[in-house]
Order: sequence, then structure tokens, then C-alpha cells
Amino acid sequence: MIDVPPPASPGAAQKEFRPGTSWMTAAASLAFLVLGVRLYQLQILRGDDYKERADGNFVKELRVPADRGFILDTGHRILVDSRPSYDVTLRPYFCGKQCDDTLSRLSSLLSLSEDEMGRAQERLRAARGLERFRPFTVKVDIAREELDIIEANRVPGALSGVDVIPAPHRNYRYGSWGGHLFGYMNEIGADELKKANEEIERRGDGETLPYQLGDYLGRRGLERRWESRLRGIDGVRRVVVDAKGNAKGGDLEDLIPEVQRFEPSRPGQNLVLSIDWRLQEFAEKFFPGTAGSVLAMDAKTGFLLALVDRPAPDPNKLSGRISRAEMLAIHNDPLRPELFRAIQEHYHPGSTFKVVTSIAALEEGALKPGGTVSCPGYYALGRHRWRCDKETGHGTVDLEHALGASCNVFYYALGERLGTDRIAKWARLLGLGRPTGFDIGGEITGVMPDEAWHDKHVAGGYQRGMALNVAIGQGDVNVTPMQQLVLYGALASGIVWKPQVVERIEDPSGQTVQQFAPVEAGRLPVKKETRDQVMKGLLAAVNQPFGTGYWSRIKDIQIDGKLLVMAGKTGTAQGVKLGARRLKAAQVTYSERDHAWFAAFAPADDPEIVVLVLNEHSGFGSSNAAPTASAVVRHYFELKRADALERAGVPFGPPPPPALVPAERAVPPAPAAPRTLEGPASAPAAAKGEKRGA
Amino acid sequence: MALDLSLPHSGFHSQRRAFNNYPWHVAFFVLCIAALGVWNLASASRSAHAPVWISQLTWMGAGVCAALAIGFVDYRRFMRGAYVFYALVLLLLVAVMLKGRVVMGARRWLTIGPLNLQPSELAKIAVALALARWFHLDAGKRRDGYGLLSLVVPAGMTLVPALLVLKQPDLGTALIVVAVGATIILFARVRWQALVTVVVVVAVGAVFAYPHLKPYQKRRVETYLDPEGDVLGAGYHATQSMIAVGSGQGAGKGWGQGTQTLLSFLPEQHTDFIFSVWAEEHGFVGCLLLLALYYALVVSALGIAGNARDRFGHFLAVGVSGMLFWHVFVNMGMVMAILPVVGVTLPLMSYGGSSIVAVMLGIGLLNNVGMRRFVN
Repeated sequence: MIDVPPPASPGAAQKEFRPGTSWMTAAASLAFLVLGVRLYQLQILRGDDYKERADGNFVKELRVPADRGFILDTGHRILVDSRPSYDVTLRPYFCGKQCDDTLSRLSSLLSLSEDEMGRAQERLRAARGLERFRPFTVKVDIAREELDIIEANRVPGALSGVDVIPAPHRNYRYGSWGGHLFGYMNEIGADELKKANEEIERRGDGETLPYQLGDYLGRRGLERRWESRLRGIDGVRRVVVDAKGNAKGGDLEDLIPEVQRFEPSRPGQNLVLSIDWRLQEFAEKFFPGTAGSVLAMDAKTGFLLALVDRPAPDPNKLSGRISRAEMLAIHNDPLRPELFRAIQEHYHPGSTFKVVTSIAALEEGALKPGGTVSCPGYYALGRHRWRCDKETGHGTVDLEHALGASCNVFYYALGERLGTDRIAKWARLLGLGRPTGFDIGGEITGVMPDEAWHDKHVAGGYQRGMALNVAIGQGDVNVTPMQQLVLYGALASGIVWKPQVVERIEDPSGQTVQQFAPVEAGRLPVKKETRDQVMKGLLAAVNQPFGTGYWSRIKDIQIDGKLLVMAGKTGTAQGVKLGARRLKAAQVTYSERDHAWFAAFAPADDPEIVVLVLNEHSGFGSSNAAPTASAVVRHYFELKRADALERAGVPFGPPPPPALVPAERAVPPAPAAPRTLEGPASAPAAAKGEKRGA
Repeated sequence: MALDLSLPHSGFHSQRRAFNNYPWHVAFFVLCIAALGVWNLASASRSAHAPVWISQLTWMGAGVCAALAIGFVDYRRFMRGAYVFYALVLLLLVAVMLKGRVVMGARRWLTIGPLNLQPSELAKIAVALALARWFHLDAGKRRDGYGLLSLVVPAGMTLVPALLVLKQPDLGTALIVVAVGATIILFARVRWQALVTVVVVVAVGAVFAYPHLKPYQKRRVETYLDPEGDVLGAGYHATQSMIAVGSGQGAGKGWGQGTQTLLSFLPEQHTDFIFSVWAEEHGFVGCLLLLALYYALVVSALGIAGNARDRFGHFLAVGVSGMLFWHVFVNMGMVMAILPVVGVTLPLMSYGGSSIVAVMLGIGLLNNVGMRRFVN
């Protein structure tokens, strides 16, 4: 048992305890002071900051994507627009452990390809931390029925984390036509994102929003070149969400002031091209080539009227729905469909180059006006014989005949007299050997060799014989179709144009924001006689029976009572060395066949349009390129006439639809009905149009 | 000499005299806080399915009755039962370990008949009672303060229930048990050498014990050191609670208008983080009011301790004061991210029957000491 302390008197006990409790009171006061100071710090000093963060917690900003600008042709026809469509996304955080089940459910609902499934699983596994809140795309651009299927299967718990978001997709209305020119769109990569946003910040207009992962970016062509104009400014919708990310409606909406709930997007600007799509469409259909270009340019401005370039992948596919296998097929295609041939591939110009040699010879005095050369079918230099097109020889030819009949021997002779350097000098003045300045990116320079170039690049250095090959556009002369178009444009107008395709940029209401003026890259520095002489040759090539393009002459179009005359030049560029025997195109393999060229302009006396056709590996220029050029020129003038008539108030084009047929009359036998209804209505109209033009 | 624990005056007469000295100011502070607490819970539970404030009110009523009822029995009678009560609580803690109900990974609840009991809440009171008795009987022996060896018994009496609670695991309550015990021991005057030794041992021990903590406990410590390091993971509580408190600013967003509360960004918003609800909706002004009430309560409790008529009453009041103080300080410190996140309730504000009953029992004992300060 323990001793019990003597009961202390109350006063004594309190004397003992009070010092301790005073200390404790002081300590507690200090502790509460600390709490108070901390409160002051959090609520008063940093209150604004935390208020903002609290608001940021529940305010979810949803992007309202801006409508991307259209691409229109010169007649305001829509070539590229956006169509409503939907993407399916998955947010891993919200499906949690059931993500795999959710994915396989999606897979069966949307019949995902192995490709898409694999990609989704990869993304799912890679998502960590904050990433798990970010939706990733499972399938882009689903069909309307698929949207309905998903919505119908949205039973609670089955598809959590799955969102179907409206994502307008780019619609290239004419598929692969114009594909290289337009370019395509696809998702921005993580590294590009940073670069693109730095660029936006540098520009600092305060309006352009930074890109986000998942945004689409213009690739290649006009889509890339004019990305910042086409893109528009995204809007924002702000909604209240709880901690789980569920949107809350009702009273809670009031947490966000009404004016802040929605900021509309502003659509991008429209590109109006100089292309006349009617002409393009015609050229696309008429051009028989598997690969090649058909370029048409306004001779008075340098603006392009048509730009056919094939093969080209369908930008609709490249902009989303392409599978890995299809992508691989494009990469492995020996025709290289990803190549924009008009500016990214060069070819020997062949005989189309002879105009350059002609100009050089006349200007440098190597050929006197009216000077002739005798062609026995070959040209001898040293021990080597250089063959002419015509094995029996052209006889004695002057410039007109030589250019018209494309006599090689005549130009071998000029080549030997001129030497490579003097030819190269004139070629450069005409725009060869440097980019044309076609403002779309990725243009190559081509090769216009001189002696120094040969010394540097060819084993054994420059040799005299090389000038002979250069003179006929073979050897190491390489040009892009666009360069060749510009060259013939210079012959036609006297101006070396910078080719352009964007005529103006308009805002969504149709107001012009920026107008592009013709740009001269140089002038054709030749004497009038020189041009006249060359022009005679180009006229002969198309309009004289001995001309190589005679079959493709235009016989039946009159302008202001005058027959339309086209001037042009064929070319047949040899890709490989000629064998001992001349072979027909069908007798050699595709890649060994010659390239067919034809360059033309019309009307010859006051050129309006320049057309260049390159039909890759197809054989002779006269038979595989000239008909297309001729048809395009002809169609251009037909369209021009039709437009003029329309402006004058005469209806043109398809006849107005027949009056509505009562139902009982529409039912009887099908074959009879269309004939009686359409036949009489359309035929006279077409005939009338024909007559008026003739 | 036999231990004389008989009470000189016990009878209706002396009861009435005792109630004349009832510390009504303490009751006033308690009722004020309790009222604010219920009001606040009504807002906090708007987004939940059940209106928990009604059940809180019921418990509050029961607690007030219990506290008043305790006043009828002279606290010195409890000295006799102190060890028995302590032993009973230890038994309950062991029972929890063996047969407790597991809620969210912790075994804290014991179901006895219709009652769901959290014995760890009682452990704080039991330790206060047991230590008060020990120091009461030990009086006069160590006028020059206690050394380490002489404190083995009270330290053991604190640590045994604390370890049992820690095992559940309930780090917060275990810390409060230790804090209550340590406060009482400090009041008994400890030699400074002993104090230094303990501090050093605890510091070193903490370093060595750290690897043995449960992963969630470790995360909490790490989060405390860098609350914004992992905003979505372990730091989520700390970050969201700071946002709630800070965004209350000067005047608060108004009752029922706290977005953090309304949209469930706050975890445990009616229990451990109830103060952030208050802070968000009533701002700095409201927080100062609440802080002032708690301060007044703690200071009044210490006043009762200082005026106690004997050592048992003194140490008991110190224990209850300590319990209140540490709960308030640790909880608010956690909500305001100056302390790590440990599960400690805010007395009279947090939702929970066991917590309210434990606090009310403590208040009852405190007032019991206070009302009998002049009684012989």
C-alpha cells in the first residue's frame, strides 16, 4: 500500500499547478497564433490565387473547334471544306480497371481493325498519372450509324470513359484530284506541338490559341502553307464539373458567369485559288497518263488555271482513316505517289529544250537569221555519230523546220558552235536551274549544267560532246514541269512569271483580306527577231504538216472571227541510253520508256494560256502529251466563250429540269419516259450553243 | 496506511453546491462550437446522400447529457475506477484487434449489440484518467522533477494503448494518445536531461522506424514535405484542402456555396477535413471566430487545471485540455498543410458519434473538476 499524500489545502495545490498551466497557456496561445497566421497567409495573402485554383477545379474548358477555312476555285466552287463527323475517344481514368473490357466492347461495336485496336491498347498502357485524364482517340471519323450504335449501348457502367466528340473532318471533295496541291491534315505530334506553339508565341498576335495534342495540322501543300490563315480561332465552352469530371447542370451552372460560359469560335479564312476547277476536271479526265503533270497557266499573270499531278494519294484517307497497311502501300509504290511531280521531280526536257538552244544561238550569233544545217540523219563529232530522230535525215533545214520537225542534227550543230556555257547562260535567264518560287514548299531546283558543273560532277570532266546532248535537252539537263511551264510562259508573254495559285484570301463573309498580284521573276531579254524566229518554229511544230504536233492542232475554234492558232513544242525525253534499235513504247518496260512532253500556248499572236503536259514513261510527246495539251487549250476557250455568253445573259450548261411530272405519268415503263422528257430538251440547247460558237 | 479514497462529502446538498460553481463559460464555448458544427455539417453533407447533421445532432444531445450526468458524480470517485476503466479500454482495444470490423483497410470498430464503438476514442480519456491517478498517488516523491527511470510506468501506460491503436492502424489517434500522455507527464515536471534524452531517442527512432511504416503512412510524410509534388495522388488531400481554405478568402463563399465542398473535391469532407468546409464557406472572419472559440475553450480548460483542488483533478484537467488542444492543432494544421495528413478529428465539428462522445466525456470530466474546485 502506498502512502497517501497529506491533503493539501486548496491554495497550496493551486500554487503548485498554476505556473505549469501558465506555461501551457502561453504555448497554446503561440500555437493558435501560428494557426491564425497560416489562415491569414492562405486566405488573405494567397486567397486570390486559391480562388482561381478552386474555380479552375470545377470549370472545365471544352474547345469549340473553329471551322477551318475553305479552299475555293476561282469561280468560288468549293474544293475543300469540312464535314461534320465524330471521333471516339477513351479516357483511361474513367474506365479504370475495366478499360480492357471497354476496349473490346468498342472493338465489337465499331469493328475496330487490328491496327486501331493495337494502337489503342498501346496508348492505354502508356497512360500514367495525369495522362490518364486525357482522352485519346480510339477511332476517328465514325459513320453516323456507328454513332447510333454507341449511344444505344450506353448502359450505365458499360462504356464509361468513352466519349463521342464532334470533330469536323476535312473533306477533299474531289478525292485525289489536286491532292498534292491541297496537301492533307493529320494529328499534331508531341514535338511539333512545342515548335508550333513557340512559333505562335513568337508571332504573338494574342488571338491565336496554342495547339493541343489531338489537334489537326495542315501537312504539305496549301494546307500547310496557309495553316495559320485556314485554322481559325477556337471557341471555348465552360462547364461545371465535379471531382469525378461529371458535368453538372441546373443551379450549379450559375457558378460560371453567363458571359463566360460560351465564347464562339471564329472560322478560318478561305483560300480562293486561280484554278478553274472546270478546266482541272476536264484535264483530270482527259489526261491518259498514269504518272505526270498537266499544268495550265494564265500567260498574262502567271496564275495557274489547272494543276493535274498524278499519281496522288487521296487526302481524305491521309487525313485520318488510313490504315498502316495502306500507308505502307503508298510508301512502297514504285510510282511514288507521295511525290508532287510538278515541283519535286525533274526530268530531261528533251526536245522542249530546243527553244532555249535556238534563242542562245540567235542571240549569241551562232545562227544567222535564215541559217540552215544539212541533216543526213546523224551528226559526227570525232569518232562518234549522234543520231537524229529521223534516220533518213531531214535534209537541209532552217530554224523553223528544225524546231517544227524537231531535227536533232540541227541542234547538235548549234550545240557544238555554242558550247555548254552559252546555252546554260540563256537557260538560266529563262528560269531553269533555280526554283520557280511556287509558294508551297519543297520545290527542287533542277539541273542546268555548264562546263564547271560537268567538271565537278562527271567523271572525266567536261567534254565537247556534252554540249550536243545539252543542246537537245538530254545529258544532264533536268527540269521540273513547273520550270518548263514558266519557260514557255516567258516565250509566250516575254515575262518570266513566278507561278502562283492563290489568287486571294477572303474572310468567312467573303471580304477580301489579301489579294495577290502577279509577280515577275524576270523578263525575256531577247531581240524581237529572235522571238519571232522561235515563234515561227513553234507555230510550225503544231500547224505545219511536217510539225511533230500537227495531229493535235486546233482547227475549229474561232475567236472574234479569227481561227485560234496554238503554238507548241513536243518533247520525248530519253530516260535511258538508246539501244541499237529503235523500239516501240509497248516493247520496253515501263521505267525504260521515254517521257512525253508537250508545251503550248494560245492564241499564238497574243497568248492567254500556257499549257504544259508531262506524261511520264509513256513514249512520244506527239502522241502521249500533245493531245491533252490541245484538248485543255480548246476547253479553256470553250469555257471562256460559255462564260462570256452567260455574262451576256444567255443560259448555258445543263437545261433546266423538266416540269414536275404527275405521279401517274411517271410510273409507266421506264425506258420511254427519259427519252421523251430529256431528249428534246437537252439536244437543241447543246446544238444551239455549238452553232453560236462556230 | 490504507488508501483512503472515500469522499468526505457526498450527497445531494454538496451536489447542489458544486453546480453553483459549474464552469458555465466552458459549457457556453462547447455549445457554440457544437452549434456551428451541426450547421456546418448541414452544408458539408449537401452533396452526400444522407443528411448526416441530424445524426450528429442526436449524438451531440447524447453527449451533452452524458457530460452533465458526469457532473453529478464527484470526480474523485472516478479516481478509484481509473485503472479499471483503463484496463477495460485495453481489453476493448485487444478485442478490436481480434474481432474488429474492417472499414477502409483499418480495423477500428467494435460492434457490441446495437452499438458501433471506436475504443481508440476512449483510449485518450482512459490514459488521462490513469495517468492522473498515477501522478496523484506519486505526489511529493519527486519534488525535484522526474528522471527517465521514474517515468517508465506512466510512459508505459501511455504507449501500450497507443501501440494498440497504431496497429489498427490509426496513426492519428495513436499520436493524440501519446500527446495526451506526454502533456500530463510534462506537467508533472520532468528533468531537462530526461527531456533531451527522450527527444534524441524519438528523433533517432523515427529515422529507423520510417522504413517500417505502412506505404500509405510513408506517402503522407512525403506529401507533407512536398504537398504539391503529387497533386493527383497522395498530395491530393493536402492540395485540395489548401485550395478550399485559401479560396474562402476574407468573407467566405457563404453557407452551402463552397464549390470545393459542393463538387466533392474535398475528401473526408465531413470528418477529418470538416474545417476546410468551414474555411471555404465562412472565410477568414469565420475561421477567426472558430479559432477564438477553440482558444477560449482550451484556455478555460487550462484554467480549470490550474485551479484544481488536488493533483488528480489537476492532471485530469490537463489531460483533457491536452486532448482538446492537440486535436484542434493537429487537425487544423493538417487542413492548412502545416502538418502532415493524419486522421485526427476536429472536436465538435467533425462528424462521428464516437468522437463526439469522447470529447463530451472529456468535457464532463473537466467541468467536474472545475465545479468542485472549492469542494473539500
